[in-house]
Amino acid sequence: MTEEHLSAFDAIAAGPAPSDPTTGGAPRLPAAESDHPSIGALGERFGDAVLGQRPTAGDQHVVWIAPARSFEILSWLKDDPDQAYDMMSDVTGVDYGNGRPVEVVYQMFSTRHKRALRVRCPLPLDALEIDSVVPLWRSADWLEREVYDLFGVTFRGHPNLKRILMPLDYDEGHPLRKDFPLRGRYSRAEQTRRALSQDVERYYGHEVLGEEGREPQELAPEIGTRGAEGGGA
Amino acid sequence: MGLKDKLPGVGPVPTSGGIFGDGSPTFLTSKIDAIINWGRLNSLWPMPFGTACCAIEMMASAASNYDLARFGMERMSFSPRQADVLICAGRVPYKLAPVLRRIWDQMPQPKWCVSMGACASSGGVFDVYSMVQGIDTIVPVDVYIPGCPPRPEGLIYGLMMIQEKIRQESLSRHFEHRAEDPLRVAQPRANEAEISGLTGPFGNSTRQERLSTGQVPSRKAPEGESGRKLIHD
Repeated sequence: MTEEHLSAFDAIAAGPAPSDPTTGGAPRLPAAESDHPSIGALGERFGDAVLGQRPTAGDQHVVWIAPARSFEILSWLKDDPDQAYDMMSDVTGVDYGNGRPVEVVYQMFSTRHKRALRVRCPLPLDALEIDSVVPLWRSADWLEREVYDLFGVTFRGHPNLKRILMPLDYDEGHPLRKDFPLRGRYSRAEQTRRALSQDVERYYGHEVLGEEGREPQELAPEIGTRGAEGGGA
Repeated sequence: MGLKDKLPGVGPVPTSGGIFGDGSPTFLTSKIDAIINWGRLNSLWPMPFGTACCAIEMMASAASNYDLARFGMERMSFSPRQADVLICAGRVPYKLAPVLRRIWDQMPQPKWCVSMGACASSGGVFDVYSMVQGIDTIVPVDVYIPGCPPRPEGLIYGLMMIQEKIRQESLSRHFEHRAEDPLRVAQPRANEAEISGLTGPFGNSTRQERLSTGQVPSRKAPEGESGRKLIHD
């Protein structure tokens, strides 16, 4: 085994660096320099809460805002008639690693003004919390659940914040974080055992299939779940 | 070409006025094994469990150009209760593992399993936290079809191997052919050491921290009773 390999194992043992105050991605520009009308208006109205902006990929405009005032800013972007971002296309997250902030990304579109805007909120690793925007856009519901599931960001005020992609009782962490090992934290045997002891009805029952509020039927005991040895563990 | 030509072991007993016309025998002699196997192997109903691109090839196999119906697989059985062959086509994530296991448990004996493609057989390129590393850790597999995805010819060849396997079965030894503990529903098929052996790290990833890193044992199956060799092993 070469020096190179050994140093790679050392880096793994040491884990991620404690905290890197620098932000991820390219440098930000002042809001006033933007030629996107919404970003200029945001800078005038919210001042310091707008952390910067940067055009990317030609005409895609990105603006960074402070997470403490995110709900206020986003609801203004939706309700102000000159902005009217009435469609929330995507909510996602980015982990830049090395202790840098995790960013929550909102991709919005205004069908009235035919404009797109991307808003990013950097969250420090010790305070992964932000206000939910489900009261503004219903489409953010499952998207925020996905960010919670894969990045561990808690959305305050979300009506149903639970895992959406990973198993509900998954306790190995949040897989898209940079400090998450590629093959998970448990051995394959333990992962297989846990996977097979899941209760399938929890995923494919009435609640998940869109009939929320209805009592799940008492299902007849079927081969493969109830009564199996260790099946409910 | 009548029934008498297709049945193996039918001896010609020339008499007059036979059941198949003039000069044909008035009775048939054959082994009950031959009759039953002949019936089984020419009326296999597949249970399609298609999760990815392999399923596209499976559909192509069932369509008119390749025409799986020639082999007696006239009907894809979308209920496991009426299926004989489970065709697992595509990658299986851990969240789907209990579903696959339950479908297998719901299929009546006799039943066979085809693992179609690299992902179902070994996890393929998805050596990650979310993916089952080969469905043989969950259900017993009779035939593995390599390919990414296999062509329809590959699937047809695999199913013909299943037919060949059925042709060699015997009623008097059916416990050996399908030795599966009926009490082990919803349980991993392999034990912990076997799963670790099947899914051990292959060295294509640098971040392999785990809480429980078992040793990688050799691929030796546990010894059964005196010389009793299971077909699945």
